[in-house]
Amino acid sequence: MRISEQAKQLCRARILEKAAELFAARGFDQTTTRDIALAAGVAAGTMFNYFPSKETMAMTMVNEALARGREEFLTRLEGSESLEEELFLLIGTELRRLRPLRPFLGPVLERSLSPFPRKSVCPEGETARQEHLECVRQIMQRHGFSAPREDVAGTIYWSLYLGILAFWTGDDSENQEASRALIDYAIRTFVQMISGNVQGGPHAR
Amino acid sequence: MPAERPQKHGIEGRASLLDLMPQQEEAARRRLAELVESVAARRPPTTSFSRLWILGSLQAKVTCAYLAYWLRSRWADADERERLKSETHLKAALELLGTMGYLRGAVMKLGQMLATFPDALPDEFARLLPALHFEAPPMHYAMVREVFLDEFGKEPHELFESFEREAFAAASLGQVHRARLRSGELVAVKIQYPGIARTIEADLKNLRLLMQPMRLGEDWDNVVAKLAEVERVLLAETDYLAEARFAQEVGNSFTPEDDIVIPRVYPDYSTRRVLTTEHLEGVHLEEFLAGNPSQELCDRYTHLLTVATLRALYRTRCLLADPNPGNYIFMPDGRLGLVDFGCTRRLTEEEWQFQCEVEEALLRRDEEEMERLIVKSSLYDSAEQMGRERLELIGTVIRWQLEPWLTDGLFDFGDPDFFRRGMDAMVGVTRKGFMRGMPVHIWTTRFILGARGIVYRLKGRCDFQAIYRRESGRNMAAECAETRRSGRTAHVAMPPPPPGEGRGEGADVGLGE
Ligand SMILES: Nc1ncnc2c1ncn2[C@@H]1O[C@H](COP(=O)(O)OP(=O)(O)O)[C@@H](O)[C@H]1O
Ligand SMILES: [Mg+2]
Repeated sequence: MRISEQAKQLCRARILEKAAELFAARGFDQTTTRDIALAAGVAAGTMFNYFPSKETMAMTMVNEALARGREEFLTRLEGSESLEEELFLLIGTELRRLRPLRPFLGPVLERSLSPFPRKSVCPEGETARQEHLECVRQIMQRHGFSAPREDVAGTIYWSLYLGILAFWTGDDSENQEASRALIDYAIRTFVQMISGNVQGGPHAR
Repeated sequence: MPAERPQKHGIEGRASLLDLMPQQEEAARRRLAELVESVAARRPPTTSFSRLWILGSLQAKVTCAYLAYWLRSRWADADERERLKSETHLKAALELLGTMGYLRGAVMKLGQMLATFPDALPDEFARLLPALHFEAPPMHYAMVREVFLDEFGKEPHELFESFEREAFAAASLGQVHRARLRSGELVAVKIQYPGIARTIEADLKNLRLLMQPMRLGEDWDNVVAKLAEVERVLLAETDYLAEARFAQEVGNSFTPEDDIVIPRVYPDYSTRRVLTTEHLEGVHLEEFLAGNPSQELCDRYTHLLTVATLRALYRTRCLLADPNPGNYIFMPDGRLGLVDFGCTRRLTEEEWQFQCEVEEALLRRDEEEMERLIVKSSLYDSAEQMGRERLELIGTVIRWQLEPWLTDGLFDFGDPDFFRRGMDAMVGVTRKGFMRGMPVHIWTTRFILGARGIVYRLKGRCDFQAIYRRESGRNMAAECAETRRSGRTAHVAMPPPPPGEGRGEGADVGLGE
């Protein structure tokens, strides 16, 4: 008997929901796939059809949150923002959506987004990178910067962004306010750099 | 925000620095100027940050020069080896100042302040620190929106009827925007740059570590105590709710007839990081003076300023310890607006008693008792231990500070001779490095210097004694008569205790432990 698409979606959602609860309660590393299957009331084999690993589960949650953040970002745009402001708003809105997952994100992001060469690249991590960078490219284009796909600027941006994520994940200040200052600083640095001011703009001495 | 000005280079730049330094000891002077120049003029890593993060402005250099001069005076008599060692520390200290994000802005502010007191040198590092106004980098509107979401769960335009995207004034820890409430009132919304409190903590800690090896002689422990005092007040300044409580409390001691306005606080629109107050129309000192105000008007404002500060002191025992002229607003209808209660220090019971004793001794003209109190305030056990020279110099400063208390009729704060005497006295104390004293006197000094600086610029006069009598509730004639009758222990009508609040409640921010 084939189960309906709708039932599939429900099952998938339930697995993610239970996984999120367990990750938050016990920590990512302390949670096994068996725990999740048990909590979601599905057989381990069935669950594997949906998600090959708990890393995939966590990164799926991350990507969904980030995607919602990006949608919301577009609705928040007023149209008069500078490049710095748009980037700041993008990251701010994404992170706000990501906030509920923050307690267990450390090990997840470390594994899935590591920029170092790995045996197996996490496909969801790769999706996260591509989707975010695509959004950044569009923003940059709106502000008159042509941004080819895999250029130096993209790499530097991504490094700064990973730094922000890493700091934010462990940020114990109230509302992660310390991260806000870092985001501000990182974005200013980036925009400065791609504007080519380093070699000596009108203010250089 | 300091304007981007073309920088002077090399010799030329150094020449202007040299002009700022004292004219003795040519070689040391030159070496120091070079040192300061080499640190302060270092090319910033990225250019458009220079406005916010970089120690490159002329003002900052001026400040460094003062700082360097002050430090130099510490080792003027030391031998060459000592001198080199201290220079290394000085260099490190300056470099640190140059890297501290917020202090950098602070250093510039200090430069501005010193510019109003051309001859006043910071008489100690600890007294220098509170003068530092931390200046946050400006926030763009996207940042403001995010802060609002964190603080209120709402965007500015959801919370207010309207909200100006551009700030109209810079604050030391953030910036101030105009907005309108749904109920129609125009308000000023002060927003703190995220994470600044932590940065201040970190900066001060670094500074302390750096100063440690300099070990400023026998008074080191006292310097440490003062740094702690400074840190406490500066950190309290990061809590806008505490500021709101002070504003409300001080505000309660004024009536509309006073013509002194303390903006109303809107608690529903305020948090630890955002402070919303009634917007006051008006201009700051510079702009006021630029309009060539009449003597009558200047006198009026001098009167109001004196009433305001003495009322805060005698009614609520608060020192308005932030001497920044930006905190006074000259309103178009002739009223005086007082904003910014962030840097308010409430006297402890003990400090208050001491203040009373000093005033009593002063008004009785009891020289012997005055001497005892000066010795005590300098933390010595006896005049012998303190030493004649120190006693005299400190005494001159204190007597200058208290001069208006002893003068009948109109007191002319614009008298250049009066002002100069005060500055000279302070420079004298500084040169000698006589810096030991009660931590609270950092604020007393700042309070007096700040107010005197403003009324001096106003060239204003007022009947100080009459105001003092009214505000303190003391009857000086009766007091003197009493003294004559009973010898030393005159009893004076104490001003009423701070209204509506027992000691040690949350409101006393400056001392909050
Ligand atoms: N209620 C107000 N009405 C008008 N101007 C204000 C008001 N509050 C603040 N400002 C302006 O903003 C500046 C900075 O605010 P302030 O409270 O003094 O900040 P800080 O504590 O950082 O010094 C003031 O100097 C003043 O020009
Ligand atoms: Mg102020």
